[in-house]
Amino acid sequence: MKTSPDSYMFEMIRTELTDAVGDANVDVKFADKFGHSIDYYWIPEMWHDRGKPCPQADFIVHPGSTEEVSKVMKIANQYKIPVVPWGGGSGSQGGALPVFGGIVLDMKRMDKYYGVDRESYTVRCQTGIIARHLEWNCNKEGFSTMHLPASIACATIGGFLAHRGTGVLSTKYGKIEDMVMSLEVVTPTGEIIHTLPVPRHASGPDLTMLFLGSEGTLGVITEVTLKVHPQPESRQFRAYIFPDFHTAMQAGATLMRSRLQPCAMRLYDETETKTHVSKVFGIDLDKGAYLVFGFDGRKDIVDLQMKHAREIMEGQFKGKDLGAKGGEWWWENKYKFFYPGYMFHVPQAFGTLDTVADFAHIEKVYWAMKNVVNKEFPEARFIGHFSHWYEWGCMLYARFIFPGDKVPPNEREAAALYNAVWDKAIRAAIANGGVINEHHGVGLKLGRYVKDLYGTAMPVLQGLKKQLDPNGIMNPGKLGL
Amino acid sequence: MNIDKYEEAILNCRFCFMCRHLSAIGNVRHTEVDTPRVRAAMLYGLRTGTNSFDDGDFIDALYRQDLSACCVHHCVNHYDENGLALAARADVVEAGKAPEAVKALAAELAATSSWKMAGKGDVAWFLDATTAADKEATAAAKKLFAAAKAAPATITGGCIGKALKVLGFIPEAKAAAAKFAAFLSEKGVRTLVVSNPAAYDALTRDYADFGIKLPCKVLHISQWILQSKIKFARKPAAPVYPIADDFMRNYDGLDAPEKLLKALKAETKPFGTNDEETYCCGEGAVVLDRLNPGLVGELAKYVAARADDPKKDSLVVASAYVKKALSAAGLKAVTLEEFAAACL
Repeated sequence: MKTSPDSYMFEMIRTELTDAVGDANVDVKFADKFGHSIDYYWIPEMWHDRGKPCPQADFIVHPGSTEEVSKVMKIANQYKIPVVPWGGGSGSQGGALPVFGGIVLDMKRMDKYYGVDRESYTVRCQTGIIARHLEWNCNKEGFSTMHLPASIACATIGGFLAHRGTGVLSTKYGKIEDMVMSLEVVTPTGEIIHTLPVPRHASGPDLTMLFLGSEGTLGVITEVTLKVHPQPESRQFRAYIFPDFHTAMQAGATLMRSRLQPCAMRLYDETETKTHVSKVFGIDLDKGAYLVFGFDGRKDIVDLQMKHAREIMEGQFKGKDLGAKGGEWWWENKYKFFYPGYMFHVPQAFGTLDTVADFAHIEKVYWAMKNVVNKEFPEARFIGHFSHWYEWGCMLYARFIFPGDKVPPNEREAAALYNAVWDKAIRAAIANGGVINEHHGVGLKLGRYVKDLYGTAMPVLQGLKKQLDPNGIMNPGKLGL
Repeated sequence: MNIDKYEEAILNCRFCFMCRHLSAIGNVRHTEVDTPRVRAAMLYGLRTGTNSFDDGDFIDALYRQDLSACCVHHCVNHYDENGLALAARADVVEAGKAPEAVKALAAELAATSSWKMAGKGDVAWFLDATTAADKEATAAAKKLFAAAKAAPATITGGCIGKALKVLGFIPEAKAAAAKFAAFLSEKGVRTLVVSNPAAYDALTRDYADFGIKLPCKVLHISQWILQSKIKFARKPAAPVYPIADDFMRNYDGLDAPEKLLKALKAETKPFGTNDEETYCCGEGAVVLDRLNPGLVGELAKYVAARADDPKKDSLVVASAYVKKALSAAGLKAVTLEEFAAACL
């Protein structure tokens, strides 16, 4: 149901929502709705830049408890109103945009921190807590979630859970789905459910994993129990310059195949090393590909792992050693890459072609995407780095950037150009063994590729959606559902 | 428009989320509109017509900002979203769109801009209205002056321009500032000691921006204590939690409060979970407690929830404004003057 603010039905629904969460927690003012109409997705940013209004919700609702979320879901089901969960709104895929109006469920009022369980090394919290605030709370108790993404300052834990986010220490500590013990979820029809309390069991399929990455299409995650870790005694980094990204990739893959356990690794291709890494670090790195990695934990074990890693980098692959300082540059500046002035910005057109693949395919994916972007869109620049390395492969953080003066002035033409780059690059990635994507999620941006990606498994996903959300109210238009 | 001077902040903050965790009002209201991102995007929308000053809710959001400048301090490029907000308020006032409560408060403040000086000498202590209302802080400052065998003249009176500037009434702020500078000149003041960090910031930064030259050197009272010959006989008994002051940390880069606590051999403990957030309850907005006391109460509750033991912890703050706000939330707060005087 779509209601006009001028209609009495609007007031009837507002009254019910107000009854559920309190008058102060239902916003219908333009200023509030405006704030939830733009996230970190380039299309609404560009739309706003061009003076075009973005689709807005009818109601911004701030629930304070799981029970209030349940009440809101029941009201939304009654009237078949779209519900879009919103955490920090910093997603780059348009996943939290209220494209069909309805209710934006802003979860930030649900920010309770319940403390660390010092026997199990876990922490429980509501999912509206901003990740940085959760991390600060854990740090005060001597622990860390080890979930340290660039968006830690703005994204909520719920946002990370909803699209399977990842942080810079993913190589050792995993992605968010590896950190979760259990979830509390409100289903689209308003039932409050809990997944099993531990992640390792043989009690049937894992419902926790069903909701992780569901992007608000299958329910609202309201509480989570996460693993935490004591702060490491030692964390050391080291960086190398290799003559080209292929050699560096071989060195990185060899390090992962050695089954040493780095906490983080990054490899920047030659272009990004020259244009981006140099700028952020404020040093001259004009040739080669920059590779950085680190280890953390007990100092004696860190020292030993670093010794073996150096043998691979220096002995086997003849990397030019930038030393510990060269690695600390990255650790100290890891978030600086994402601030304006260092990050790309409208009026430029830019996107992160986040793709993940195993080591057997990752370089093919890189070249397939780079070649198609360079060939089809010669005015765009293509850069890439490889972050989030695992035993079997890694993630390609490839980006295309059009200078502002090469982006069509007409917003519809600009959007069409933007989507065309995605179509070409993503299909090239999928055709070469890549999976979209590793941690940004699908959202509105990539929904059209989900059928290609899932193939004959798509009806399974659609069936789950139909069963859990019979009225199709949860975050419509996202995840290709 | 005044906001045009902050083009860099408008363009860079409008799509940036990197300081979201430090948006004090956003953190207590759980809103997007109370963040630098949305304020900048809305101000950008004035150019394209997607937003306008006819939207009273937008203007309310501009006047809700706590102006701690924590986000500016945090940003790697220090884009001045705080200056942008102040410029926007000035534009709102110039457009005749200031809320009635703001207009009434500005008129009240402008009417207070007169001062008296008791005593003589080229050193004077400016006892602003906020500090004067705090009897313990006032008495402590007097005790310190006595211990230093200093007998500064005492200047009392109303608004010296800061609050009017913060509300967006720039000509009125300039007029108050010029009047105060003339008063100091007329009285022959050569060194002015101030207790209120907002007054210190006004005199050291705003006056220069207004093109007003002061006839005197300005010292915050913590600076004055450090350079005095006061002998402190007692070491503070219990550990204390220093609260970083918005003006001193984020605007003025003044570390005298920390140096003073060190000189007093105070045992300090970090307050809360981090040293980036503001715990000053809208001190930067100077009169937020007058415009929106409920919101200041919410900010104070947020701070209280981050204390190790809200009933027992001793907090040391730099301003009477912060002390009042935190005390109302049940926290034990003393000003720097009180803390130092207790060590005599």
